[in-house]
Amino acid sequence: MQVLQTENKPTSKKLLLIWTSIGLQSFGGGATTVLLIQREFIEKRSWLSNEDFAHLWNLCLLAPGINLIAITILIGKKLGGTAGIFYSLFGLLFPSALITCFIAAGFQQIEHLHAVQAILKGVVPATAGIMLLVSVNFAYPQLRLAYKEGPLNLLLCLLLIIFCSVAIFLQVPVFVALSITAILGILCFTRPLFKKKAVIQEHD
Amino acid sequence: MIYFFLFFKATIFSSGGFSNLPSLHQDLTARAWAPEADFGESLSIGQVTPGPNGLWVIVLGYLSYGFLGALLALIAITIPPFFVLLIAAIYTRLEHQRWIPGLMRGISLAVVGTFLTVFWTISKPSSGDWHSWLICLVAFGMAFSRRINILIILIIAAIAGFLLYR
Repeated sequence: MQVLQTENKPTSKKLLLIWTSIGLQSFGGGATTVLLIQREFIEKRSWLSNEDFAHLWNLCLLAPGINLIAITILIGKKLGGTAGIFYSLFGLLFPSALITCFIAAGFQQIEHLHAVQAILKGVVPATAGIMLLVSVNFAYPQLRLAYKEGPLNLLLCLLLIIFCSVAIFLQVPVFVALSITAILGILCFTRPLFKKKAVIQEHD
Repeated sequence: MIYFFLFFKATIFSSGGFSNLPSLHQDLTARAWAPEADFGESLSIGQVTPGPNGLWVIVLGYLSYGFLGALLALIAITIPPFFVLLIAAIYTRLEHQRWIPGLMRGISLAVVGTFLTVFWTISKPSSGDWHSWLICLVAFGMAFSRRINILIILIIAAIAGFLLYR
């Protein structure tokens, strides 16, 4: 039993290999990568449980920057300590970053060609459409929750979205707009806002 | 140095792969370090290359400043997520604070707002052209159905672009 346990533990080399393969396989974005992570660490090797993963992911939503890098750091730390963080990140990022760089370089060589321009004119609007879907995916759980809570919350949600978009549109620095919206979120959705006051008083 | 700082700032106040775009867009176009067209192009390349989509920033770094730019961008997007270790440490204490859910909802809604501005930024240059709106709409529909891989959608869009504009 003891022996089995140690054999089951991930070695640094193994972590590096798994993350490299995840990095290189995840064409087309975040959803694919998350799926691959779940498959490798939960289903194939059972180093993590589904609950572990959900908990780690929630923490990553709070962290700044790319959530996938954050979850790589957390999983790496859990499975291999500080060295685990390093191997996991290196495996995920370095090979794919290198390939990305070469593709960008190749693109710069050919971007002036007429055919390439035409292709781009097709791809860029498609990217915009995908981006629109990403925002819909983000908005949907929020709006559904608010819809269940009543029209006031739904209105508040829409107002906050519009407020933030307009602020960025008007060249308000993005982190300022984000922080203000976050604070407004606390004011709008924490009820009762002050514990000791009666409910009627602080309801607007 | 400022260049690195701008990428770093954009990432530290963002959540998720694309939400650093509005901030970068504000800063880089204001300094004329990257033309409008670079953004749409780097997003597209970022989508078709392997790795997390957030790596589009590396393409932007490369297009605006060469290999050094790409390297700086990579470092800038790698450091901020380390804050997650700090958050993991303090989260257990804050988890039950009453204002945390409100904060999370505010942030999530703000993220939706940033995505809408990203959408606007990418589609603005071609806004007078109904072909590109059609492509945008079809791509949205295909992605929405979840049956078609993103890469295939982009390839179809590339073919459409080639046929329409060559």
